Amino acid sequence: MTEVVMQRALVRHEGRLAMMAAVAVLVGVAFMTIGLRGNLALVIELRAVRLAAMVLVGVAVAVSTVVFQTVCANRIITPSIMGLDALYVFCQTALVFALSGFGFAGIDPRLHFLGNFTAMTSLALALFLPMLRRRFDLTLMLLTGVVLGVLFRSLTTLLARLLDPNDFAVLQGTVFASFNAVEPDLLLLAGVITVACVAIAWRARHVLDVLALGTDTAIGLGLAWRATAARLLVFVAALVSASTALVGPMAFLGLLVVSLTERIVGTNRHAILLPAAALTAIIVLVGGQTVLQHALGGEGSLGIVVEFVGGIVFLAILFAGGRR
Amino acid sequence: MTAGSLGSQGFAYWAVGAATLLALFVASLFVGVGELAIGSLASDPEALRLIMISRLPRTLAALLAGSALAIAGLVMQTLARNRFVEPSTAGTAQSAALGILVVTLVWPDAALGWKAAGAAVTALAGTSIFLMLAHRLPPTQPFLVPLFGLVYGGVIGAAAIFAAWHLDLLQYLEVWMTGEFSGILRGRYELLWVAAALVVLAWWTADRLTMLSLGRDVSIGLGLNYAGMLRLGLVIVSAITALTVVVVGTIPFVGLVAPNIVSRFAGENLRHTLPWVAGGGAALVLACDIIGRLIRFPYEVPVGTILGVVGAVLFLVLLLGRSSND
Amino acid sequence: MRWLKSVLALPALALFLVQAFAAQIETARGPVIVGKTPQTLAVFDIAAVDTLNSLGVKIAGLPDKLYVPELAELKDGAETVGTIFEPDLEALSALAPDLIIVGGRSSPQLATTSRIAQSIDMTMNGDDLFAQAKQRLMAYGAIVGKPAEAAALASELDEALSSTRAAVKGKGTALILMTSGPKVTAYGKESRFGWLHSALQLTPAVEDVEAATHGEAISFEFLRDANPDWLIVLDRAAAIGSGEQNARATLDNELVAETTAWKKGQVVYMPAADFYIAAGGVQSTKRVLKTIRDAFSRTQ
Repeated sequence: MTEVVMQRALVRHEGRLAMMAAVAVLVGVAFMTIGLRGNLALVIELRAVRLAAMVLVGVAVAVSTVVFQTVCANRIITPSIMGLDALYVFCQTALVFALSGFGFAGIDPRLHFLGNFTAMTSLALALFLPMLRRRFDLTLMLLTGVVLGVLFRSLTTLLARLLDPNDFAVLQGTVFASFNAVEPDLLLLAGVITVACVAIAWRARHVLDVLALGTDTAIGLGLAWRATAARLLVFVAALVSASTALVGPMAFLGLLVVSLTERIVGTNRHAILLPAAALTAIIVLVGGQTVLQHALGGEGSLGIVVEFVGGIVFLAILFAGGRR
Repeated sequence: MTAGSLGSQGFAYWAVGAATLLALFVASLFVGVGELAIGSLASDPEALRLIMISRLPRTLAALLAGSALAIAGLVMQTLARNRFVEPSTAGTAQSAALGILVVTLVWPDAALGWKAAGAAVTALAGTSIFLMLAHRLPPTQPFLVPLFGLVYGGVIGAAAIFAAWHLDLLQYLEVWMTGEFSGILRGRYELLWVAAALVVLAWWTADRLTMLSLGRDVSIGLGLNYAGMLRLGLVIVSAITALTVVVVGTIPFVGLVAPNIVSRFAGENLRHTLPWVAGGGAALVLACDIIGRLIRFPYEVPVGTILGVVGAVLFLVLLLGRSSND
Repeated sequence: MRWLKSVLALPALALFLVQAFAAQIETARGPVIVGKTPQTLAVFDIAAVDTLNSLGVKIAGLPDKLYVPELAELKDGAETVGTIFEPDLEALSALAPDLIIVGGRSSPQLATTSRIAQSIDMTMNGDDLFAQAKQRLMAYGAIVGKPAEAAALASELDEALSSTRAAVKGKGTALILMTSGPKVTAYGKESRFGWLHSALQLTPAVEDVEAATHGEAISFEFLRDANPDWLIVLDRAAAIGSGEQNARATLDNELVAETTAWKKGQVVYMPAADFYIAAGGVQSTKRVLKTIRDAFSRTQ
């Protein structure tokens, strides 16, 4: 009896997953083909790079958020509230301050990417790794991250005041994510990191299912909880850092995507949840970009729109969930 | 340790606290770019003039803003029934920024007072919505509320930043929002007295606010006008935040650090803790402002930046200290 | 006089012939050879838009906002190719320009736009903005095959500079300020605005600010003690309306009232867009100089 029910659920989930994959392909095709003009070979190459960036960031954000939430046993937090976004903006501000806007523009993009990636991964590790020694306190870790975020933001505003308006103008583009000017070189670099981390997360999907049962149950089932959780968080840190260093901060994308995914597939099994979240992220990003570009004519603002809409949708879901 | 046991040593505590505040007050009067020697005060009318125009207003502004922000944090924590919220992490400051931006756009020539009024209105609206929503969240998860506040503040902040970015006003907004007393002179801070009045109001209603923290049903059972008190608390928090944002900018952590430190040794009864929280906030802000005036003398480092660093360290010590005690 | 004109025209003509094929120009990132006189231009640097417009060049592709009111009409008939922060590569590709000019705020976009067509970064990054503005002007003249017009404009700039320099001579010290709401930041000799001091030989009221290449947060007490004879003021919110009102309200206080500048009414409010967005464009530089010249000439 239960087996039949489970079987049915599985078929249903897989059906949904297939449907989402189809929608994702459809938006991808729409994005690549609508409104082509100019030098076709070049435009298609440009769109392909942008599509690849969106897929990469979508997958990285979705997978990192799901894993982070499972490890923290909480479905409403995201790795980017840990002060990583604030650190990213602070790093860019400090660079503009030290090198001027022109010097900032001249930094080798690969060096820049690696620098950002290293800074953010280090901070994330500094936050996550004390877990190994102490009794793990989620609130403590979260608040520490938030406090560091405020710290970086205070330092940023000081530098922002001292910059002249032109240098500041060079800087302000980094506050929001942008998919328009992604370097193909960086795509490869970020791609390698993302694919490696996602592959590890995928291999750990059953471990994640066990983790999701709660700390005590997981330990009871013979899982080395602390080591497993710490190891997974390292990959979360790498994923978030890679996507932020590639396009800029997207604090609410992960929240939005996971909330939506849960509504669509309604399961906690990571074999379904991970790909479903990744597909949702791709649909949101690529679909959003297509709509913005062709229907609304505001193609540069995807990052901002996702921030804004994502935040509101998340609040609504949280609110509706809280009232139930 | 409760407020009761504090009583025996109460006088000593009060004396030390008052002496610290007084020392900071005097130091603040004599730290600045203009030349001013303590001895010259009696003989030199210029020195007295400088004190009256610049130093005293600045010192008072720091005291008022510090104590008011600490109280706003305390009241907000009482209303949200959560230790880790403060106005700047729950959308109030972001709403005020949005208000400044809107007034600047609609009416570019508006006097500072009008911009302040606009910011106060939006801050009130933003905070009301936050508390309305926060109260419907399940109380079983204590960090849901601060998290909700962060996302909520993030959304409003994103709207303000987006608008400012497109209008080439982002730097203007960021500078305005940096907490700092360098622009304070006689005639430029008096709005903060309104915040002081709200602190007095908070003290006057302290017992009822304490009841509020017991939750809706208990407090109504105790005969409290729950909705009315909630509204009053809201007005106190929003008005204080809006006034300080407009006059000096956002000063992070005061509302978080001062109440949390005080509650560790003085308990949760508002009537007992309130003066300590207010004094602690005032001393913290004043000390940070003096540091900010000195480290890059004769230039200024905004108090918001100093507190960003000092407050973060203090708060982390508080957090980590608490967890290792547990 | 006619012989003089033709004598002057000859080398210009020779120069033109050479440059119709290739011009080597100095850009912010080193010398670059621009292949041929470009017919279709896309420009993301507002100062370059200003200068090219002064040279009588029609620009085919422009960003959606030009910020400087005097340039607004250029948008008619030009293709919109994104914003200065984010070029729309597809629109650019459709336009198929021969040359793309970025600079200043759009400087980080060089690598991006290079994928469409040859791009040059014409940022003016030195502290001697005036010399760089002329250098850029001559470079544009060479690129579009109008070196004579460029030379004429350059001498107009020189004239404006020298008459302004004469106007400020012996009129005392000055301090450059930016106001944002109720707060004030001071900019020194080495900052982006510092070219006013060096090009006009205008004595800074505080030598010390030169230590910093960036602005410094200051108090009004600092302003009073610096006691400049002139205040040169930029309001950060001026881009959207009456900046002068806001800046004046911020500075109108008891401590600033004690400075010579305020007592004598020697406070110059800068045209915001010209002073920081299009800084270094021919017309905007002339307007900046005129603002200063007019203000300094009014007093004895």
